[in-house]
This record gives sequence, C-alpha cells and structure tokens, in this order.
Amino acid sequence: MYTKVILVKDTDLKRQDKTREFYTRLLDYLREGNLHSQIQVVRVADIGVYDKGLVIKILPDKITYVNVQDADIKRIIDTTLGQGKVIEDLVFRSKAKQLRIVLRNCGNIDPESIEEYIACGGYLALKKVLGDLGQQKLIEEIKVSGIRGRGGAGYPTWMKWNFAREVASTDKFVICNADEGDPGAYMDRSVLEGDPHSVIEGLIIAAFAIGASKGYFYIRAEYPLAVERINKAIKQAYDYGLLGKNILGSSFNLDLDIRLGAGAFVCGEETALISSIEGRRGTPHPRPPYPSVKGLWGKPTVINNVETLANIPVIVSKGGKWFAQIGTQTSKGTKVFAVTGKVKNSGLVEIAMGATLREIVMDICGGTLSGKPIKAVQTGGPSGGVIPESLLDTPVDYENLQKLGSIMGSGGMIVMDDDDCMVDIPKFYLGFCVEESCGKCAPCRIGGFQMLNYLTKISEGRGGPEDLGQLRRISQAMQKASLCGLGQTASNPVLSTLKYFEPEYNEHILNKRCPAGKCSSLVTYNIMADKCKRCGLCMINCPVQAISGDKESGYSIVSEKCIKCGRCFDVCKFKAILKK
Amino acid sequence: MNKLTPGDLEKMNKASTDKPKDWIKVGMGSCGIAAGAEDVFNFFVEEVKKRNLQIQIKKCGCAGSCYAEPLVEVSVVGLPSVVYGTVNKEVAIKILEKHVISKMLVNDCIFEVLV
Repeated sequence: MYTKVILVKDTDLKRQDKTREFYTRLLDYLREGNLHSQIQVVRVADIGVYDKGLVIKILPDKITYVNVQDADIKRIIDTTLGQGKVIEDLVFRSKAKQLRIVLRNCGNIDPESIEEYIACGGYLALKKVLGDLGQQKLIEEIKVSGIRGRGGAGYPTWMKWNFAREVASTDKFVICNADEGDPGAYMDRSVLEGDPHSVIEGLIIAAFAIGASKGYFYIRAEYPLAVERINKAIKQAYDYGLLGKNILGSSFNLDLDIRLGAGAFVCGEETALISSIEGRRGTPHPRPPYPSVKGLWGKPTVINNVETLANIPVIVSKGGKWFAQIGTQTSKGTKVFAVTGKVKNSGLVEIAMGATLREIVMDICGGTLSGKPIKAVQTGGPSGGVIPESLLDTPVDYENLQKLGSIMGSGGMIVMDDDDCMVDIPKFYLGFCVEESCGKCAPCRIGGFQMLNYLTKISEGRGGPEDLGQLRRISQAMQKASLCGLGQTASNPVLSTLKYFEPEYNEHILNKRCPAGKCSSLVTYNIMADKCKRCGLCMINCPVQAISGDKESGYSIVSEKCIKCGRCFDVCKFKAILKK
Repeated sequence: MNKLTPGDLEKMNKASTDKPKDWIKVGMGSCGIAAGAEDVFNFFVEEVKKRNLQIQIKKCGCAGSCYAEPLVEVSVVGLPSVVYGTVNKEVAIKILEKHVISKMLVNDCIFEVLV
C-alpha cells in the first residue's frame, strides 16, 4: 500500500514536454532509496499551476513544488519525503484561490437527492430561520452580511426584502430570476443543475423574510435539465414538508411553481419578467413603483437572482459577520464567473471579490488557449464592456468594474487575444441587443439599430472619421433615455472599445485595414508562390472553388469568387497563404 | 412520506458520517452530458455489476472545470481522492482496473485543478 503520491507535470509550453523523462528519473531515485513501494509517482494531465516549469505535488500533504530541476530530486526525497519538511525555495503557494460558497455542493452531491443535500447541512438554515431567528433578525443578518444582488445591478438584497416586508398586503410574492441570457454565461444553469435545493432553500427563506406565501421560479425553456431538476427538487421538498402548509411544523406556508421563459433576453429585467409571468408580453415598465412595492399582480414582490439565493442559506448558517469578512469594502462575498473565449481552462470560477482579473484568467484558468498574449477581457455580457490587458490587475468588484466602463453583470467573462477585432466584438454584442430589444422605447429601438449600422459601415471599410462622434452621441442618448437596463447598457461594449481601442477603429476608417484580420471585407487572401509547395490542400478545402491551378503550374486565388472564409489560411501547412 | 420536523433534519445531517466509503462520481451537468458523461456513467454501472465490485457509482452536478468534461471523481480508501478528466470508456476501464482494484492512480488522466 502506498503512503504517499507524487503528481508530476511539465507546465512549460515553450519546450517539448519533459513530464515522462522526469517521471522515470524520479522513479529511479525512489528505487535507489527503496521507497518505490511506499510512494507512487503519477503523471497528470493538469496540475493546476501554469507556466512554472516542472511541477510536482505531494499528496496527501498537498505540497506543491515548482520549477523543479533534476538536481532538486535528491533533496526533495531526503527533506520532504524523509523528514517531512517543506523546502521553502521551491514551494509554491497560490495567491489566487477559489472559495466555494455558491458552488459548495456543485460536483459534490447528487442534485436529484434531497437526502444528500440535507446530509451536507441543507435546510438547517431554514430550520434556524423558522425556529428562533424570526423576520426582523433575519433581515438584520442579511444586512450585516452586505450581500448585493448577483444578477448584475448589485442592489443590496436586505433593502429589497425590507421594502417588501414593510408593505402591508395580504398577498406577497417571491421570484427566483433564472432567466440567464448573456452570451457565454452559464453560472445559474450550473447551480440549478448541480445544487437545486440550495436555491429552493434560499427562496423559502426570502419568502419567510417578507411574508410571502407563493413563489415562482422563472427559468428559460432552453435549460431543460435545470427545469427537470428543479421540478424534481420541488416535489421532494413538498414530500418532506419543506414546502406547502406548516413548513417544518411551523405556521409558515409557501407554494412554489415554475414558469418557463421563452428565451427573450429582456425578460431578465424584473418588470418585463413580471409581465411575462402574468401572461402578458414581456416588456419592461417604468420604475418606480419598484416591484418590492408593486410587482406581480400589483402585489409586493421580491425578485432575486439564482446566485444571490444560493448564498442565503450559508449566510444564515454561518452568520452575516462571517460573510462580511470576505470580499472588498463595498462588495462582500464571492462571485461565480463563467470564463470562456480564448482561454485554456474554460469553466466556472468562484472567487472572493477583490481578486484581480489577471489572477482569474492567468493563474486559475491558465492563460490563453493559443499562448498568444491577452488583448482584452469582456465582462458582463452585452451590457458590459471590454477591459484591456493593461488594466487586468484591477481588483474585481461592482464599483471598480463600473469605473472601467464595464459592469459585473451576471458573471460572464470572455477572454480575447490578438485575433479578436475590437470593432467586430461590439458589433456582435450590439447585434444581439438590437435583436433582443423589445421595441417599446425609441432610444433603444432606433438608437441600437443606427449604431449597428455605423459599426457595420466601419467594419466594411465604408466608415468616415465623423462616425465615431456620432456613435458616442447615440450612446449617450441611449444611456440617458432608455426605459430599462437593456437599452441603457447596450452601448457599453461600443463605448468601452472606443475608450481603449480607438486606434483600431481609426485603422478601419482611415487605412481600411483590420489589424486582427477579422472583418472579412477588409481582408484579402493571396498565395505566396515562393512558399507554396503546390500540395493542393487549399484547393480541396475551398468551399466555393475560388482557387484555381494545378500541381505543375501552382495555385492562385480568384478574388472575385473568394468569400474570405479563411479556410485555406487555416489548412495550409506551409504558411503560404498571405492574409492582409 | 412523513413530513419532517426540525429534529429529523438534525438526525439526517448527523447520519451522513456513516455512508459507504468507496465511490465514483460522474459529473452530470449539461456540460458533462454534452461531452458524453451519460455513456460513461452507464458504463461504470454495468462494469461494476459485471465484475461484482464493492463501489458506489453516483451522479453529481458540474464541478466547474467544464473544459475537461466528462469529469469523474474517484474516492477509494487508502488513496487520495482525485478527479479524472475527459474520461471515455478506455479511461473508465483503467480507473476500475488500476485505481479501484489495484489501488494505484492512473497516469496522464488526472486533472488536479480543483482546490
């Protein structure tokens, strides 16, 4: 039986992988010391540390050594394995550490089993709330915790609850907003799929706080698995008496129901969401009155995001003070980010507020997939902005991101490298907003459309220098005059790229050139005869037969036929296609 | 089913310490299923039955490392619990034969990312 395990991995991408070499050398040393029957050496696929040479990790002690040289093997075996001492000049202690509060059970428990959730301390927070905490103290606890809405705007949760509690009304409602629609964001889906009971428990506590007896899950129909698991979880909670009449033997009653959203982005906005639940067309209304006072069916309604609700049971169990220790001055707790785009380890990252973007993207997610430098990171989806590489050391919280012209949003984070064009990106997001605009107010309906026209013009090389001023003017009008968050923030991607990447816009306008080679109207492909080996691969792969020639006379691209898809550029093994 | 009382909750919470010790967990969120986790899960269930192994096969949600799905976490007494990534049937066989039966970790498949 082995007593210890050593994991090895070469993390230097610039040279040939040395993992195997090092692995055999380590084994030899262990055999020499007659330790090979006690210690197993394992090559791993990913060791969680990046670009730090040869990395070894000793389990179960969890000691990580980086930049290990062959000469270090002996002292590692003698000092660490023999005497149990840590070698300080090799040891690596990561600053960037994930802290799992919302995702505490995701990947740990079976989401379809309420017993496993209870075994992990589930519904004990509800018991505490119903037992000795009471409404007033509960809201006080949430206030102390300082948690703010995780859906994007960052409104303090306790204030929402308190407003709704203070209104005298026979009927009150709670709604869980699970209408997650940002391109590239899927934190809510993962929580609903991985730990549905934590959200249900949060919603029951919210209902108790304001005195509601009816609650809704508003989930988009595109999340069939999440809907199925929430449905199952609600049924289990009813069976166990955690929903329905006299919850846990108390006098508190709550019924929960699911409403499916048809996938309109604007229905994530709370007034539009309420309209949708009422069976009307999902369009926003002017606020005030806020939903906390006059919401669903004209009654006080609290709408909380999935992630906010998943935090609630932990805050109640561990106390508001404990929660308030985590994070920055103004933003408490953790945030889950869905890191996607050109990044090595795409996935979910939950990290305490105040961590820098660089820690998230470089240390935890391992940098870019291509190894090229990061150009920018886009946060907050279509309502957010682009943050250039030079500002990646900014600590992440609500205020800091806003200062940079972006927003926290629901937590989408898209990493971009040099191949991404900073005119094309806002064009994509604006296109999304134009498509999803409900059309009720003119600034959003017309402004978005006109801005998209300008961006299309610029990306096709038809833009003029006056267009940038026009873009800024329309942005301002949209921000000031739009009815809801969709229109007010739709121009953020444009404004932030204009702020940080104006030279790239000018390159498109003045020199009719796209530096990233993304805007197809401004790119031409040519075959360089001196590099071409006449293999014919480009001709076979061209989808529109725009490449003519044969193996004897060489090949050339017929520019009239070329659709600029870039296929030939990608398949050429000799880099003989010139993209300009 | 009987309705729970506050006392039952506490009891169910405490009972959690004596659950079976060896288990294999397959990540079955949307990301995992899209990468083929359902096949892997069924394969484990079949093989464990065929070989009459004393190990529990469980489902769980997404653990966050979506790029390495399907993720399989294996906990066997005497070995540190580890996460295997991009698991297919070949890796699954190795996990059963090497990790579960011979009590040795499998080379080249571990994703040691989760803290």
